[in-house]
Amino acid sequence: MTADVKNASGHVGPEGAGLTASVAGLAGRSRPGWRALARVVRLHAASRRVPGAAAVIIGCGVALRIALIGHWDAYGALQLPLVVESLAAATIAITTASPLGEAERVAGRWLPALRLATTLALTALAVLALSLAGYGAHLSGGTLGVLRNVAGVTGLGLLCAVLLGGGLAWTGPTGYLIAGVYGLYTQWHPPAITTPWLWPARPTHDLGAALCAGMVFIVGLALVTMRGAWDRVREPG
Amino acid sequence: MSVAVPEARKPAARLRSDRRPGASAGRLLRLELRHNAMMWLLPVVAVLFWLTTYRKTMAMAPMWNLRAASLQSGAVIDFITPVVGAAAWMGTREARRRTTDLVATVARPPWSRLLVTWAATTCWALAGYLGCLAVVYGVTARQASWGGPLWWPVAVAACALVAFSALGFAAGVLIPGRFTAPVVGIASFFVLALSTELIIGATSYWYVSPVVTGPWDAGPDAGVATFYPYLPDLSIAQLMFLSGLTLAVLGALALGRASGAGRVRIAAASVAVAGLLAAGTAVRLAGTSRLDPHGMIAIPALHDAANDRPILYTPVCRETAIPICLNPAYARYLPAVATALRPVIDEVAGLPGAPGRIIEVGATYQQGSGNSVAISLTQPPRGSGQASVMRILLPDQLGGPTLTTSQLAAQAASSTAPEILARVVGNGSGVTPAQQAVWTGLLFAAGQKAVVGGPTPERVIGPPGIVSPGSGSPGRGSRAAGSPGPGSPAAGSPAAGYQELLAPKGSQAFAVALRFRALPAAVRYRWLMTHLPALRAGQITLAQIP
Repeated sequence: MTADVKNASGHVGPEGAGLTASVAGLAGRSRPGWRALARVVRLHAASRRVPGAAAVIIGCGVALRIALIGHWDAYGALQLPLVVESLAAATIAITTASPLGEAERVAGRWLPALRLATTLALTALAVLALSLAGYGAHLSGGTLGVLRNVAGVTGLGLLCAVLLGGGLAWTGPTGYLIAGVYGLYTQWHPPAITTPWLWPARPTHDLGAALCAGMVFIVGLALVTMRGAWDRVREPG
Repeated sequence: MSVAVPEARKPAARLRSDRRPGASAGRLLRLELRHNAMMWLLPVVAVLFWLTTYRKTMAMAPMWNLRAASLQSGAVIDFITPVVGAAAWMGTREARRRTTDLVATVARPPWSRLLVTWAATTCWALAGYLGCLAVVYGVTARQASWGGPLWWPVAVAACALVAFSALGFAAGVLIPGRFTAPVVGIASFFVLALSTELIIGATSYWYVSPVVTGPWDAGPDAGVATFYPYLPDLSIAQLMFLSGLTLAVLGALALGRASGAGRVRIAAASVAVAGLLAAGTAVRLAGTSRLDPHGMIAIPALHDAANDRPILYTPVCRETAIPICLNPAYARYLPAVATALRPVIDEVAGLPGAPGRIIEVGATYQQGSGNSVAISLTQPPRGSGQASVMRILLPDQLGGPTLTTSQLAAQAASSTAPEILARVVGNGSGVTPAQQAVWTGLLFAAGQKAVVGGPTPERVIGPPGIVSPGSGSPGRGSRAAGSPGPGSPAAGSPAAGYQELLAPKGSQAFAVALRFRALPAAVRYRWLMTHLPALRAGQITLAQIP
């Protein structure tokens, strides 16, 4: 069974083998048991490096909390949350990369649900961690700002995962970070960029910015759920 | 047989060609260039550069000093995350593909293989940067009226990309993982962009950051490096730091991967130590920086006194009733400035006290508290015999937001007109109501209604010393005029510094000012020609003004 399970580079890992066996087993049953389901979830999370991603996200929260203790001028106070949000979003997007390739797609009937659950859980964790980091401190944009920015930038990362592959999904959030920081900069240095597509530069209560961020997140989530990250035979580099 | 011989010789010929120095390394580099992630990130960088740097830079006046500084800081910010991320991604390749054991068996030493991968990443980054540079400098070369390209900022940004690439690559090699690229890329951006928060004043170790091009928080200033040469002191320190950092990182990388070969280890260690020494020295040098009187950062140990001599230039002049002369770098503003000043010049040309010539001069910069910089008009040397010459600063010599030509001309007129009129009417202690009425009436007549409200004027004269909100950080004061002195448009309002000459609204002097303004220009001029000495001497009453 496991001899057929190879990723793009031809590697067979023990986690991947176990996961594929479990998913294949689930595919053959109509009602999986809870233990089997839990095992699938655990193995899926392990194959997507979810524990590592969760650690990075929690680290982002801790770093933000520590940073908020310091004194920042207006630039720093505005840009700091966006930097951390972008890192959390890039981390979430990277977890879409599958080490198992085509075999998992064929055998994994539950795969869309697992992708959806993983992405939503990590996004929720990011929002929670960063909001908690700002609790009792002055967090620019507040919880709503965190929710909007994390969701929007994560959506961008998910779109990159679909287009470029999970491994390079970080390019979207990191590139958007520069654009977002510039958008904030233009609020003091006219002409200001007011497009809602650059939502980090818009006030938290801006409906258009929230809609744009939400739409990007929903589209990215839907695509990743249905199709998964693009498995390139050879990703660049 | 005759066919087989050449076929058999082909591998041997290839082997011989491989023995040429650098041939195999060149082929390896070509392979790496074709399979490099940075190549795929160039479109992202191009979009970022266009959005954040190109549009901003092109909106600035076409002056080399402005655009070179903007290019340096903008390109560094735009490139850092993609370059560090791509380099880290390439550094993790062997671990990602699980080929570490496989490539460990090849004859080529690991460090040389890694250096080629790093070099390919750096080449793509530099290619992208040079493309951006070519566009910005190409457009500027067509638009600029004077001067030439500044290469120090270009070199700093290029060297920064090389250093970023080395840092990212080393991080990828040492901490291979899927999360390494974004974590290192964003962390680098954080350190680079937000570390400038630590810069306070002109003396800071953080001036080695390649994103800094001059006094921090001061914003772009067209007056810097226009009247005096561009000071390379800061650029030299930054280049030292970045080169040292690159050598230290690459040396450490080679040291860790130079298995066995003792000579290689010694060489790598020497390179790393030399790099660290260079970087440390650069940081120490940056810590001795100071703001020089011409608005640039000077480092005493690197300073060349020859750069303190002003640049010789032939001013461009407009032969109006009072000739107006500007630095040739500002030639594009001359027609608009002359047109904007024409109303006030027509009012006073030829009158006693009126300037014989208006010339643009350089500013003098002085470090204020925190990151504020005081900018004032450079005073002429005593006894220079230039009493009839009026020296002015144009608004964009004071930093602040980018102005259009018409905005700049309007600001120049509204700041210069009060001074011209004050020279004519007199602006000493004990200004009489008659002088107030004439000065205010002439100001209105010169079209400066907006300044003081016109027929229903309101005092909008702001507190002197506040200049250009938005030139720097929103959280800190940026630039402050040292004194709203003669000819300086530094104050927040054009009439600032001349409050004593402004007829108070509702006063009798104000009513006389409105009446004086309503006179035909020729009548006003004749009256002034006749009564100006008496007016300046305080011998004219309000009732005597027509």
